[in-house]
Amino acid sequence: MKLLRWLIAALLTLTLAVAFLLRSVGANLGATSLQNGDWAINMSVGSADANALQRASVALGGLLGSTRENSVYYRIASVDGEPLRLNCDYRIEGGDYDANWWSITAYGWDNYLIPNPQKRYSYNNENLARDSDGSWVISVSAQEKSGDWIPIGPSGGPPWRKFTDNDFDLLLRLYTPGVAYLETPASAPVPTVTLEACR
Amino acid sequence: MKTSALSLLKWIAGIVVGAWLGQYLLAMALPSLVMQTLYNVGSQDSGVNTLTTRLETDATSRQVVRPSPDLLYAICFYDLSEGPITVTAPVPARYWSLQFYQMNTDNFAGITNQREQAYRIGSTAEVMLVSDGQNAPEFAGEVFTSPTTRGVMLLRASAIGDSLESRQAMAASSCRPA
Repeated sequence: MKLLRWLIAALLTLTLAVAFLLRSVGANLGATSLQNGDWAINMSVGSADANALQRASVALGGLLGSTRENSVYYRIASVDGEPLRLNCDYRIEGGDYDANWWSITAYGWDNYLIPNPQKRYSYNNENLARDSDGSWVISVSAQEKSGDWIPIGPSGGPPWRKFTDNDFDLLLRLYTPGVAYLETPASAPVPTVTLEACR
Repeated sequence: MKTSALSLLKWIAGIVVGAWLGQYLLAMALPSLVMQTLYNVGSQDSGVNTLTTRLETDATSRQVVRPSPDLLYAICFYDLSEGPITVTAPVPARYWSLQFYQMNTDNFAGITNQREQAYRIGSTAEVMLVSDGQNAPEFAGEVFTSPTTRGVMLLRASAIGDSLESRQAMAASSCRPA
């Protein structure tokens, strides 16, 4: 009876520990990242100075990421505290950013590209439709939109593995980033993401 | 009655505190576990000490999380237990990098064609990887030491715009025993 009690306690402890860990690293790459508005950045990706939670975050959601001198990654999983949902439409607006090249990609909650018939997963600094002043707009929606549009939909992973509040997220990659992204990543220029409407 | 309620509370408190601390132990074990899984599955599909090139990234690309459709990738699962490996890779003009990852996910070494390394553009990178304590045979290129006997080498090249040069560079690259 005593042994059974200890076994149940050990099992519960392990289950709860897994749940704690998944919440910590799944929420927004954990409490281990810097915020730039709604964007989060983990400056220790791939680095030997990363702590245990940061390494765990990278292992689950950014394996084989480069160190910050090579590239920085900003991730947005919620807008004004509301997790990104498939039944809502979003608008990304921006200009240009100090990097060799940059891109914005949508990923499902399973950290892989979202299947869509258009095979449109991202836009980069060269294939965006820009206004004369260099500004641009991307629509993110499950419903077809005019102009630059990233289609979203169900992720390819099995639903029982979903442990995040958001259905998908957006990742801003900046390769060979300028000094602002290396020294003041929490205030460096990044695109704006706004919630337009939900169905 | 009061004693058993107190005992239950003690158990619950023990479980919660143990789980809170346990998440850090799990976090420490997770990177090696995930890399090990990637290595085992990847090397079964692609082989060891050989380069596998993927020139199209889409929703079916599920070997490594968060692949970029704007990059071309080539991956080599290396094992230095039998000796060093060499990587040969032509360097294109647009963004390109060659990165080594040890089994705890750290990006321990790499080269690019960016910033002060732009001089590499148009040349062919020759890199030898040896394990800690292994003597490097005579080699004309750069030599890096891997902290772990096994690991992953990842080549990235820009797929933006006209990517013909990047594609040709990736196709002409190799990873093989020295």
